[in-house]
Parts: sequence; structure tokens; C-alpha cells
Amino acid sequence: MIRESAPILHRLLTALHPVRRWMQGGAALALLAALAAIGLMAVSGWFIAAMAVAGATGAAINYYTPAAAIRAFAILRSGGRYAERVVTHEATLRGLSGLRAGLFRRLIPLAPARLAALRSAELFARLRSDIDAMEHFYLAVLVPATVAILSVAAAALVCFVVSPAVAGVLLLGAAGAGVVLPGWIRRRATADAVQAVGEAAELRGLLLDAFRGHAELLAWNAVDSHRARVAALACRLDAHRARAEGWEAASGAATGSFAQLTLIAVIAVALAAVRRGGWSPPLLVMLALLVLAAFEVIAPLSEALAKWPATRRSCERVFALIDTPPAFVEPDHSAPLPSRPAIVFEHACLRYADDLPWALDDVNLSLTPGARVAVVGASGAGKSSLLAALLKFQPLQKGRVLFGGRPLSELQGDVLRRHVAVIAQHTVLFNQSLLDNLLLAAPDADAECIERAIARAQLTSFVASLPQGYDTVLGDAGARVSGGEARRIAVARALLLDAPVMVLDEPTEGLDARTAQDLYAALAEAACDRTVLLITHRLGGLARLVDEVVVMAAGRVSERLGVQDYLDRERRRSA
Amino acid sequence: MSSIEATAAPPDSPGRSAAAEWLRREGRRISRPMRVAAFLTASYALALTAQAWVLSGVLVAGVFRRVAPASLWPQWTALLALALLRFGLSLGGRRTALRAAQTIAGDLRGRLSRGAEALGPCGLRAQASGDLITRLVDGVDAILAYFARYLPQIGSAVLVPCVVLACVFPVDWLSGLVLLLTAPLIPLFMVLVGRAAGRASEERHDQLRQLGAASLDALGGLATLRQLGAAERFAQRLEEENEAYRVLTMQVLRIAFLSALVLEFLAMVSIAVVAVLIGFRLLWGDLSLRHGLFVLLLAPEFYLPLRALGGLRHVRMDALAAAQALAGFDAGDVGRPTRGGRVAPRIGSEPRNDSEPRNDREPPRLRIEGVSYRHPGREHGLRDCDFSIEPRRVTALVGETGSGKSTLLQLLLAFDAPQGGRILVDDVDLSALDVVGWRDTVAWVPQQAHVFEGTVRDNLRLALPTADDVALRRVAERSGLADVLARLPKGWDTPLGERGFGLSGGELQRLAIARALLRESARVWLLDEPTAHLDAEGADRIDGLIRAAAATRTVVVVAHRLNAARRADRVVVLRDGRVIEQGPPAALARAQGAYADLLGAERA
Repeated sequence: MIRESAPILHRLLTALHPVRRWMQGGAALALLAALAAIGLMAVSGWFIAAMAVAGATGAAINYYTPAAAIRAFAILRSGGRYAERVVTHEATLRGLSGLRAGLFRRLIPLAPARLAALRSAELFARLRSDIDAMEHFYLAVLVPATVAILSVAAAALVCFVVSPAVAGVLLLGAAGAGVVLPGWIRRRATADAVQAVGEAAELRGLLLDAFRGHAELLAWNAVDSHRARVAALACRLDAHRARAEGWEAASGAATGSFAQLTLIAVIAVALAAVRRGGWSPPLLVMLALLVLAAFEVIAPLSEALAKWPATRRSCERVFALIDTPPAFVEPDHSAPLPSRPAIVFEHACLRYADDLPWALDDVNLSLTPGARVAVVGASGAGKSSLLAALLKFQPLQKGRVLFGGRPLSELQGDVLRRHVAVIAQHTVLFNQSLLDNLLLAAPDADAECIERAIARAQLTSFVASLPQGYDTVLGDAGARVSGGEARRIAVARALLLDAPVMVLDEPTEGLDARTAQDLYAALAEAACDRTVLLITHRLGGLARLVDEVVVMAAGRVSERLGVQDYLDRERRRSA
Repeated sequence: MSSIEATAAPPDSPGRSAAAEWLRREGRRISRPMRVAAFLTASYALALTAQAWVLSGVLVAGVFRRVAPASLWPQWTALLALALLRFGLSLGGRRTALRAAQTIAGDLRGRLSRGAEALGPCGLRAQASGDLITRLVDGVDAILAYFARYLPQIGSAVLVPCVVLACVFPVDWLSGLVLLLTAPLIPLFMVLVGRAAGRASEERHDQLRQLGAASLDALGGLATLRQLGAAERFAQRLEEENEAYRVLTMQVLRIAFLSALVLEFLAMVSIAVVAVLIGFRLLWGDLSLRHGLFVLLLAPEFYLPLRALGGLRHVRMDALAAAQALAGFDAGDVGRPTRGGRVAPRIGSEPRNDSEPRNDREPPRLRIEGVSYRHPGREHGLRDCDFSIEPRRVTALVGETGSGKSTLLQLLLAFDAPQGGRILVDDVDLSALDVVGWRDTVAWVPQQAHVFEGTVRDNLRLALPTADDVALRRVAERSGLADVLARLPKGWDTPLGERGFGLSGGELQRLAIARALLRESARVWLLDEPTAHLDAEGADRIDGLIRAAAATRTVVVVAHRLNAARRADRVVVLRDGRVIEQGPPAALARAQGAYADLLGAERA
């Protein structure tokens, strides 16, 4: 485990390097507080025993120093604990913001070609909890482990001065209670715990089916059988959890028993030493209480070590993700582009994996500046891949795409995309104000520009209807906006971007005829004086936006013809 | 961030107190095992004190008498036995509590999911399903943790100090007094300081959640951000927001940690005071060393459960939040009265009695008679609809979004009963029919089919669990699903659903149609936009299937696009829940009415 852990640990610590001073400070304070607690008990024990001996023998004793030390340890412990919490949380929060932003930056070049996680809800949730686990590494793993190891070492050192044998017993007991025993028990529990995690995920899926698919289960009279499936799974889950938790409980209780056994052993060894006359009897009481207090910091050690494998797996996944080479190596300088670029696909071939069919199969297509072309075809014909290739989101396996006469490899993706505005079926809106959502495309746009874009996107009355106008927050994933409104916001965004090429990707899909009609005017405004690439499986009312139609099937361009010819033919076919 | 959240107590809002009451009620059902757990805890505390007593005896012997370790064998035996006893009691207590908590959790899970299903398909759609799952799975887990860990810890925070105190007082009343006086101060101060920081910390918590949501939002929309060239700006923004959050959070945490400081301070200082007081009385000969050591050994144990309870406060907070979400759901939303105060009869999966014998071979004639329906809390619905759906014909329902087309299909599926009027199936009121039997005769293609966890085969067999591969292949061929299967890596065995392979809109549509075809015995077809997401060729194929099916069935098609309606035998046009026009499509197209308007809108 250590060999696998070392590189990950090193990398994680490197990522947290900017906050190392805070981290070290927090760990030092935590150690101080832990040692103060041990010191308090140890000195108290010695003090009581020494006072009792002095009382019995009538010998003089300096009680000021130990009494003051006891009070000092008590204050040091409470104050140190407070300072420790403040500093460790400061370190965590500082590390967290750096980690999040850094991770986000590393993920940017991977989207969307290399980020499958963004498409699957579960992978996405896992990514989130992985980042969470990384964020908790310091507080939940590093600090308790460091404190436990160092304070046990310190306690053992004190014991060693008095009696090496006692120190040996303490170290053995600590290793047993903190590392060996919980590790052994956890290995028993792993199988159950892993099964429980899988079953919990499965339960989520089945419940999702039960609710989201409830209507269909009702319609197919399958509610009861599905319910039985859920109940059976929940039963299995509970059984596995109960077993895993049982081991967990055993581990906790066993740590306590180990502490008691160690204490008994220490006292036995110490008694023998005292009998031989090696040292004064009050030291016996001191060592006993020292050992007892030292075990208080060992319990968190086993928990911290138990968390490490999961943290390591989380780190491995996140590191593997950010180590994924981006789909493109961007050139240092972007070639200059004409104000009205032409677009040419030359023998473009694209597929998403070696065992999948070609999504683009030797596509040749050229769009002169100002051309208005629709690409139609069934789902899976390769229309979206065409767009992904054009935006430099997906690499081609063969052939190339020329934009403004330049191959895409000579253009930086960001520069290229500034020349292409996209209005898609699913407009991604962020949970920010309407204004912020608009400004994403053009951060420097002034009020006049925005007003103009809003007017041309037919959004003026929509903005007027919003309770806080431009400052209205659009809600989770734009939840407070209808499909038609979202697309018109996309139009406004595209107008603000003022790109020479406009791509419309199924812009009216899922809208009823009347809502779609409202959108046409906005789209016509957006398309005005630009190269237009319209991607749709059915032309319908969008025909006015284009002059030509390219028909795609199975990744190939099958024909290219004038829009009127295409419409006539379709009409004949459906008649 | 649980460790950060855990540090500040929330203010007890009225919703919270109701949730706490609900938790208490739930807890009453496991009072017996909880009493057993409490008994085990008390025994544990007794074992602990006994151990301290024996231990102090051993130490005293060592200090004053220089005994041989071997001569103390009865003490060693007692100590080992007590250690073993403590192990057993602690394990037993935890297991008892866990088992009791699992009983509650299992019961809750069943009750809540039945409660959710009682909302009916329409009510469920109004709920965000992700939210429901979170409430059900995570919420129930939070409540489980409350009963399995927090409640037993409360038990030991009360019982262990009581037992310790009862043993300390007869031995040394002065130390007992110190412990007795400081113990109640701990929860008191924690509450006082916690309250002060509570409200602010709850706001911080909200802000943190928003921040988490914002970065998720950004990750989810990363492709869009790149497309707009805004990714780097967004990263900077996230950084700034995180930084601002850190500053604010630390302000709150500094106060919130005061409660922990108070706890720690009281525990440590009173241990110190006890130690010093014992020391001086030992010097003066007022106390025996054995009694002094006994008290000193017990002093940390006295505070330990209280401190552990402080560490578990987030468990209580999570459980209260979950209970707040679940309690309202459990009690309020089921069987909610409708507008006239009348409880709408809800149709679940329970079979209705007095079913009428019907001829299953013949497709039925459906009659919508003065049907009115309103979704709870929404404007749209059906108002006094009146028309017939003839057997062996294709009837198309057209109209704008929200005109009531899909609602009508849901009433025909008996998901809910109309609030006015009735639906007749061959002159028998649908509400008097056996629901299961009726649905057995219906095949439904929903607007957006749900993909269930499982393989393609499982998903199809939902309609007919007994279907064999020959039947599956046949319907796949007819619906066009065969083309989709050819693309899937494992064909029929490809796992679908959230964790499986994703299907595009058109592919999903084909799957839903294949599913409907599989139920060959269906006499009624209800199709909600069957050609959406399909290209011209695919739509033609489906139109052909519908025509063929109509030879032996009653077919209702909801159509957004009028292309699908044009080939129907009869068109019913809905607007705002009313039937405004009906007749053969060709006649309506000529009539210059609403249908013609819609046609015009689509052509434009």
C-alpha cells in the first residue's frame, strides 16, 4: 500500500503546496493540544501520587510547580485546540479554493472530447465526491495521522527515559490498536462495504426508475414487480451494511480493549521495575495515566488510515482525468483570419472510438463566405460530428477542415470559436443573472449593445416581464426559462459575439409550431449577413434561413441541392 | 465540508421543531431496543468504574507496598475480565441501536416511496425526481445515522456521567461536586454560543451549497463556456468567489469554534481542579490515595461522552434537515384534497372490483363525455370535453403545447379520474373497470419514454415479461429498433439507463414503439407524438405501422406536427382544454378553422 500511496501522496501535497505554511501551523497546533492533554493527565497522576507519598511520610514537597503545570496544560489544551481548529480550517478553505480553480483550469482543455464524465450523471457525481474527498484529505487524514504518530512517539520518548521496556510496550500497543488490529478488521469488512456501496447506487437507479418511470410501470402493470425488486435490493443492502457496521463497531470496541490491555501490561512491567527499586513510585502512576491519555489520540489514527484508501482512489481518478492528454495541442500563435472566412471539409473522417462506426466518413463540403446551407439527415447521420469537428472539439482521424483558408491545426481553438456562434437545441444557461449569462459571450459589451441584441432576439418583452430585469437569476440550469426563451437568449448571446459564422443546431426541436414561429424572426436576425450552417433532421419552417441543402446519411454527404428543389421533392414524397 | 458545517448549531426554526417532533415519534417505535441499548450503556459505565476501582487498587499497591506483579493475579484477572466485558457491552450496544435504526429506515423507505407513488404520475412529474431520490436515499440514511449513532450517544452522555457521579460522590464528595457543577454548564454554553453563530452559519452553509452548485454548473456547461470563449473568465470568477467565501466563513467559524473551546476548557480545567484538590487533600491526609486515583481516572471518562456528542452534532443537523423534507412529504401530500374539498379518487395499482366482462378481441369505442380535469396547482387542464374515439380508426389530437392533449391520454390510461364527466369504454364507465385489466388492453407510447436500468431486452419486456427472442426480433424489425441495435456494442444485452448506454431521442422513440408493438394483445393504442425526433423516413415507417394497427385496434395519436395528423381518420383540435374543432383532416383543412390556422403556422 505504501508503494502505491507515495506518488499520489506526493502529488496531492504538491497541489496543496501554496498553503503548506498554514497546513504545517495547523498540524503543529494540533500536536501541541494533543501533547497538552497527555501532559495534563501524566502530571496529575504523578502529582497525586507524590502528594500522597509526601502526606504519608511527612516529607516536604514542592507542590507549586506541578500544580501550576497542571493548570498550564489545561489552558494550553483548550486554547491550543481552538487555535488548531481555526488554523486547520483556514488551511482547508485556502487549499480548497486553489484546488477547485486549479482543477477547473485543468479540465477546460478536455471538454468536451475527453470529458465523458460530463455526460453521465453518475460519473459527474463521482467526480464531485472525488474532489470532496481531496478537499478533506488534510482535515480528515493528514492532521489526525500526523498528530497520532508524533504524540505517541513523544509519549514513548518520555517512557523511554524512565523505562525502555515500558516504552516498548506502549509502542507495541499503539501499533496494534491504531494500525494492525483495525486494518485486520477492516479487511474483513471490505467485501461487505464494497457490496453495500454498489447496492446503494443500484437502489438509487431503481428508485429513479420507480418515480420517473412510474407512469410506464403503471401502464404496463409492472408497479408491484418493480416494488418487489426495490424491496429485495433494500433488504440485501441493509444486511451488507449491518455486517460492515458490525465490523466497524468491533474495530472501535477492540481499540478500547487494546488500550486497556496495554495499560495492564505497562503497569505490570512498571511494577516489576519499581520493586527492583529502579525509580520512585509516583512515576508508576504517571506512566499509567500517560499511556491512558496517549491512547485517546490513537483512535483517530485508525479512522484516518481507514479513510486513506478511498481518498487515494479519489485522487487517482482525478489525477488520471487531468492527465488525459487534451484532444488538441494548440499552436502557440493563431494564424490571422479573414473577416469573412470560408469553411472547407476535406475528406474528413471522424469516429469516437476504434470499435465504433465512422461518424464522418470522407466528408467533403465547402461553404463560401456568406453561404447559407442546411445539413439534414437522420439521427446518427453525422450532423453533430460535423459541428464538433468544425469547433475543434473533436479531432479528425483523417482529412482536415479549413477555416478561412487555414487548417484548424494552425488556429487556436479559442480564436476559432470566437468566429463561430452556435445556437443549439439545448441552450446551457448558468445559474447567474440574465446579464451575466449574456456577457459570457462578450464581457465588454456595453448597455447599448445588449439592448440592441435583446431587441433583435425578440426578447424585449421577456426582459420587461422579469421581476428584476437583467439582474434576474435564471435558476438552476436555467430552470426558470422556457425552451423558446432559452433559445432566444442563445440568439442574443450569438448576436453579442458578432461572429461571421452562425451555426444553428436543431434550433426549433421540441417547440410547438407557434413558439417555433416566434423564434424564426430572431433566428433570421441572427443569420443576417453571416455564413449560416443549419443542422436539423427536418427542415420545416427553417427552410427560409438557407439557400442550399446538404443531405447526410451514415456519415457521408449524399447530395447537395437548392432548397427549393429539396422542398419540392419532399412535398412530392409525402403527398 | 461536513466537518466545517458541523461546528455551528442551527437556530431552531418552527419547521425544525416539527421535524424534531416527527423524529421523536419515529423513535418511539423502537423504544424497546433503545431501552436495551441504554441498559447496555449503563452496564458499560459500571464496568468502567469497576475497572477504575481495581486499577487504582493496583497502583496504590505499587506505590506503597512494592508488591510482586504476580501476587496481584486476582486484580489482573478482574481487569482482563472487565476489559472483555466492556468490549462486549460496547459492541452489543452499537449493534442493538443499529438494528433498531435499520428497522425504522426500512419502514420509512417503504412508506415514503409508497407516499411518493401515491402522488400519481402527474404529481410525480411535478417533483424533481433527483430531489426525491436524494430525499429518499440520503434523507433516510441521515435518519438512520441519527438513530444508530446520535440517539445512543445522547444515552451515554446522560447515563455514563450519572453512573460515574454516583460512584464518585460516596468516595469524594468535593470532586463529585466539581463534576456535577461543570457538567450542565457544557451543554448550556454550547447552546448559547451555538445559537449566536447558528444563523450566520446557516447562511454560510447556503452560500457554500450555492458555490458548489456554481462550480458544478460550470463543469456541466464547460463545452458551452469553451464555445463562448468564457472558460478562463469563469475560472477566475470561481476563484474570487471561493476566496470571498473563505473570508466570510472564517469569521463565522471563529465564533462557532468558541462552543468547542468552552467545552474543552470546562472539561480540562475541571479535571485540573479535581487533580489539584485531590493532591492537596492527599498531602493533608484527608483522602486516601486509592480514592484520589479512582476519581482522577474517572474524571476524563465523565466528560468523554459529552465531547463525543459535540462531534456528532452534524448527524443531528442532517437528520433534522432530512426529517423536515421527509415529514412534510410523509404526511401532507398524500391524498391531498382537490378544489371542492373532495378527495379525488386516486387510482393506484390496486385492482378495482366489479369489473365488467368485455369482449377482448374487439377494439373498444371510447367516449369522452363532458370531461373536465385540472392538475393541482396549475392553470391547464381539460374543460368539458366531449367527443368519441371510434374503433378501427386513427384519431389525432392536435393543439398547442398545454392544450390538454397529453392530459387526455393520461385520463384514458386511468392515471387519474376526471373531476367532471366520465370516460366510457364500450359504454362502461372507465372508473368502474378493473384498472389492471383495462391497462392490459392498452399499449402506450409516451412523449418521452423512460429508460429503465437493465438491458435493451429488459426494457422491451416490461410490456410483456414472457416475450421470447423471436417476438423481440420481430418488433425490433418493424419499429426500426433493429437499426439501433446494430449500432449498440452488445446488441440486445447492452445495458441502458443512467449507468448504461445513452440513447438519442430518435432511438428512444423507436424503443418505445417496439415496446408497444410487443404487447400484441393490446386493443387500444395511445401514442403521444410517436414521430417526434424521427427523420422523414423513420416517421413514414411509424405512420405505416399506425395505419396497419388501426385495422384491428382503436388508435389515438397526439400530434405536435400536423404531418402525423394529416393521415388520421379524424382530427380533434384542442385549445386551452376545450375541443374547438373535430372532423376528417381534409375537411378541416378546407374549413379555414383552427386546424387550418395551425397548418398555416407550420407551413410558414
